[in-house]
Parts: sequence; structure tokens; C-alpha cells
Amino acid sequence: MATSMVPKRPFLSLPFLLPSWTDSLALGSRRNQSSYRRTKQRLRVKPDASFGPSRQGHDQIIFNPPSSAPSVYHTPSKFLPPGDARKTLRAENVARPDADNLPGVYKSTEKKYHLSTAQIEEIRQLRLSDPMTWSRHKLAKRFECSQMFIAMVCEASPEKKEIQKQVTQAIQSRWGPKRRMAREDRQLRRETWGRDA
Amino acid sequence: MKRLQLHRWSSSVLSPRARTGSRVQQHLHSGVRHQSTASPLQSEASSQEEPFLEEAPVDEGLARHIRSIRFKRPEIQYPSPPVEAARSSAKLAALHARLYLPSRLPLETLARTLVDASADPNPHFNNESLVTLGHDLLTYYTSEHLLCTYPRLPLAVIFSSMYAYAGPKSLAAMAKEWGVEAATLPGGRLTQFRRIDPGAEVPGSAEKREPRQQMGRKIFYDNEYGDAPSGPVDRNAGVSAEQASSDFVRAVMGAIYLHAGRPAAKRFFEQHFLSRQLNISSLFSFSQPARDLNRLCARENFEQPVAKIISETGRRSRSPVFVIGIFSGQDKLGEGAGSSLFEGRERAAVAALKGWYLYSPLSVRVPSSMEEEGAAPWKPVHVDLGEVIV
Amino acid sequence: MPVQALRTVTAARNGVGAFILQCKRLDFHYCDWAGSSRGMNEFLRQNLPAFAREHPQIEIRVAPRPRKHPIIRGHFVNGKDKTICVRNLEPSDILKQTLLLKDASGEKLKRTKKPVTSTNDSVRGIWSPYHGDLRGV
Repeated sequence: MATSMVPKRPFLSLPFLLPSWTDSLALGSRRNQSSYRRTKQRLRVKPDASFGPSRQGHDQIIFNPPSSAPSVYHTPSKFLPPGDARKTLRAENVARPDADNLPGVYKSTEKKYHLSTAQIEEIRQLRLSDPMTWSRHKLAKRFECSQMFIAMVCEASPEKKEIQKQVTQAIQSRWGPKRRMAREDRQLRRETWGRDA
Repeated sequence: MKRLQLHRWSSSVLSPRARTGSRVQQHLHSGVRHQSTASPLQSEASSQEEPFLEEAPVDEGLARHIRSIRFKRPEIQYPSPPVEAARSSAKLAALHARLYLPSRLPLETLARTLVDASADPNPHFNNESLVTLGHDLLTYYTSEHLLCTYPRLPLAVIFSSMYAYAGPKSLAAMAKEWGVEAATLPGGRLTQFRRIDPGAEVPGSAEKREPRQQMGRKIFYDNEYGDAPSGPVDRNAGVSAEQASSDFVRAVMGAIYLHAGRPAAKRFFEQHFLSRQLNISSLFSFSQPARDLNRLCARENFEQPVAKIISETGRRSRSPVFVIGIFSGQDKLGEGAGSSLFEGRERAAVAALKGWYLYSPLSVRVPSSMEEEGAAPWKPVHVDLGEVIV
Repeated sequence: MPVQALRTVTAARNGVGAFILQCKRLDFHYCDWAGSSRGMNEFLRQNLPAFAREHPQIEIRVAPRPRKHPIIRGHFVNGKDKTICVRNLEPSDILKQTLLLKDASGEKLKRTKKPVTSTNDSVRGIWSPYHGDLRGV
């Protein structure tokens, strides 16, 4: 009996498991709900409205977006050059996702552009004079900018680079085979991101 | 290994043979002479080399037998088969029909396309001049097709797709798919070339690539595949089977152009070369796609690209999936899925960059289509600013 | 460098541009004496010239094979060959076997399980659960 089953999912989300209205009327001849035809009938979904006959009487384009990631050969409308006919053809058909309401991957930070030339010179001075103290992290903290900006503005001295290299090598020499292999695999996976999409 | 001595070999090759050629043959030779003026003449010292080194038998008795045969039969007196032999070869006729070659291309020329310069150094009888012509035609047709179909391709990808369409590896594979085989007997061999000694360094294969060679230099100094040009190839040392069969395919292209004209050569190119499959989007390899996309949007005056989460599942689980889209203003440039936010963003940036580079105009015409009769007036093709420079 | 390229070669699609007949050579072997070659001998005399004229792409060899059954051997572009024994067959049946060898690709016979096998990408892409119009049942 269908009603005595203990379903794993919430019951109301699967309506074809519920006893239908006609079945509940005919109490005497109650049949098993697991009949194939009945289940199939309930699973039959109405076709999309765009597949139906055209109501306006003129030709229309059936737009049924595929359930797959877009192909790279399908140039985005923004990348089409001004003279291309596809730009105007696509304009009304494509349903755009509401980009403003989507959550961002990273916290969007407003760029401040607050550092002056003298301050940038000071950053360079500090990093060159005492590279052990004035790391990228500390400089970014002090001047309230990103570490990326520090890297764009100045470069570590060769001695500091050599020391850092030795430190990295010392750490890596302590790795066992498992960790080393895992790190190498991670690097290889990282390279595949740039190859296929 | 016992070397075979060919006494009258060099003198017989360098002096023109007595030929009872038909009118077609005479026409062929007069036509080909123009072509072979550019091909380098082999020196006398080099022509005394032994052409069939790899078949040189160890057995003394067998060697004597072969030597006696060579003096008896005219077909194997010369390094390449005589021109009259082409008419009686069933294999050549079958190859001619299998490739649907135009009937104006005689079998004698087809036989000549199979003779490599390493086997017969005489430029009147080997395929060197046809190879030069066919190679130029192939690279011209391929490059104009690529540049007009995908006007935004970066230079590195153009080089690599040129290599994929008309590179030696593809051409050697085509020769194999055409049913051309390397025969071993001197009389009945099909691709006539001298194989390079095993273990010897193949010229041109050792690619001395500098790691950060600039692309701009490649246009001026390198060949059509972006490789550093190898110097003059010493044919006397022999060639690899790959090079010999790729030269054969090029020579067929040149022969069709000479005998049947430009339209037939173009049709042959479209049917045999352009019909092959290449997924250009699989040739790209980006190292920092997000940065490149940033530069691209700045160059083209688009809004800064922002990565946003379109959908996600299992963020706290062991195998999450994030579908990230990269948006410039309201427009989506690309999207990608990954098991971390960073991976998704990188993949989305790669998709966006490929979307930019793989733009193809709607009606593509190539410059050589103007050579047809009654061609429509030429409209300039789309020319792009070029790839992103970081 | 911002973008680097990988090297690959193009894949052949026989029949998309030009079609290369995969049968390269047909060898016909017969015996003058044995009775099983009676049909084969007649085929070589009556039907083979017309067949060869119709199919110039195929190199044809005829060779005796004394005191053996007559056979047809087809050599293919992929380097393989197929042999059919035609003992006691009538010329019309031998022609059928010859056409069978002519049309063969040279590959081993394989069971095809899918209605379509293609190297092209699907028009609608690879299905993904995270795309498209999600709807509840």
C-alpha cells in the first residue's frame, strides 16, 4: 500500500506517490500505486509554451536554451565587432541573467588610488633597506593597499629572493613522497585549467 | 656492410638520358624546367654516393647477383625509374584514380612526385621543384583560410594550427591514408627516398627553442610553423620516412597546380586538407587568464570583468561545484565550473578569452576567391587589433 | 607570454571532403585444373575486365594457385587484408564477394552499440545539471 510506505524524501515533493483523487473515491477497487503507466502519466510534463502553435499567427523563434555550459565558439554579444549582424539579431532574444543580484566571488573593494609618488618611493626605500622586516604583507598593512600593489611597485632584492628560495627548499626537503606527489598533482591540475574550458 | 659500386652512375644521371618521350612528356619536361631552375644542383661528389644503402645485402653472392641484374634491366640502372615505366605501373594508375586527380595530370608526373631528392639528386627527375611549389601553395591557402575565418587568433595559435593543417606530421599521415607505401625493392618502390641511418639525428627535429622567444621575432625569422629555420638540408645523409612522405604530398599539390591549374589545386586543397578536423579551441594554453581578460577589457573600453557565482552546490562538502560567470557590466563574457571558487573563475576567464579569440565573421571569403571567374567585388576582411599584450 | 599554443595534428574525416576507397588491391587466385575453380575461371574471363574498368582505384592482380581452392584477397589502406575463399561458387556469387571486399574498410568487424558515432561536438553541448531551465517534477 502506498500510504503505509515510509518515504525517505518529504512526501509532498513527490506528488505521484500520493493516492490520486479518483482512487480515494473507489475504495473497493484500490490498486497499487506502483503501476508503471500511472507513474509515467504523472511524470509527463507539459511542453514549454514556446513549443506550442504560434498564437499571434506570425513566425517565431523557438528559444530553448540547452542545459549545458555555453560553447566557446559562440562569441558573446559584447565581443562582436560593431558591424556584425548577430549583435542586433541577438539583442531581444537572449534572456540575460540579472548580473547585479548575483553574489560576487570576492568582496568587491573600491579602488582608492590614495598613494602619492612620494609614498611609493618610500615603499621602495623600505623594502630595499630592510627586506626582512618590511615584507609585502607589512607594507600593505602600513600603506593600506593590497599586496598585489606592493608587488607591482617594487621588487625584493636578490639577496632576499635567495634567502626565500633556500627557506622554501628547506621546507620542501622535509616533504615525504605522499605530500610531494600531492603538490605536484595539484600543480598539474592547475595547469589544466588554462587549457580546456 | 658491403657497399655496392655503381660505375656509370654519376655520369648517366648528370647527362640527359636518351628518351623516347611522347608529346605530353616533352611538354612536361619543358614546363618543369622553368620550375627546377631554382632547385639547387647537386655537386658531383655528392652524386657518387650510394642510393640504396639500406638494402645493401651482407651476402657477397647476393650482391653479385643484384649487380648483374642492374646491368641487365634498364629500370634499375638509374636511381629513379625511367619515365616510360610510369605507364605500365598498376599502382600508380590506382593511386591516380584513388585521389581523383585531374586527367590532365599525367602518370609520369605522379611518378616523379614520388622520387625524393635523396634518391635521385638530379633536379630534372626528382620532386624537389614540385615540393617547393606545393609547399608554398599549401601554406598560402592554409594561412589565408585561418586568418580570414578566425581574424582574432593569437600568433602562437596560428602557428600551431598551421602546423596541424600543413605540418609534416599531418602530411605524412595523409600519405599513409592515401595508401602510399614505401616499397623496398628498387624496381617497384613507390616512395623513392633514401632512409636516414638509424640513430642519426634527424635534421629539424631537435628544436632549439628559447624559453622566452618573442612572438614578433618569429614572424620575421622563423618558418610558417614558428620553428627556427633549419639550415640547408643535406639530402645525401638521407631523409626520414616522415619527411619523404610529406614531401610527396606537397609535390602532388604542386603537380596539380602545374598541370590542371589554380582552380583544381584549390579544390584539391579544400577536399583533402581543409576537410580534416581540428578543434582550434583545444590549442590554447593560458597561464594567467584572469589578468589577460582584465587587460583585454581595459583595451576595448569594456567595464572591468567581475566574477560572480551563478550557482553552487555542496560548499561545505568534500566535492563542491561552483558555476562562476564573468560579467562585464550586465553582459556575461564566459562561464566555467570548478571545485573551488578560484578554479571556477580561472575557467570562466579562459572561456571568455576563447570567446574573444575564436570570433569568426559570418560570411568568410578568402583573397584567393577573387581569382575565380566572375567573382563579386572584394570586401575587406575583419582585421583585429591583435592579441592581448600584458 | 599571455597565451601559448599546443601542437597537434588534424584528424582525417574520410568522405567529408574527398572519399578515399579503402580497398587498395584485390588479388584473385585460381587453379586451372581443379573443379572448385570453375566459377572463378569463368569470372576472370567474363566479369573481371568490366569490374576493373569500373573501379580504377583498385589495383588488381591475377595469379594461379595450383591445386588449391580459389580465393580473393583484399588489401586495405590501413595495412590489413581480408581473404574470402570462393570455391564452387558461381560467377555472380563471386562478384558479390568481390564487391563485399571492395566496400570493406579493412577494419575488424565491430558491433555498433550507439546509433550515431561522431567526432563532432554535440550541438547542444554536454549535459550539465547546473545549466538550463531547472524545473521540478
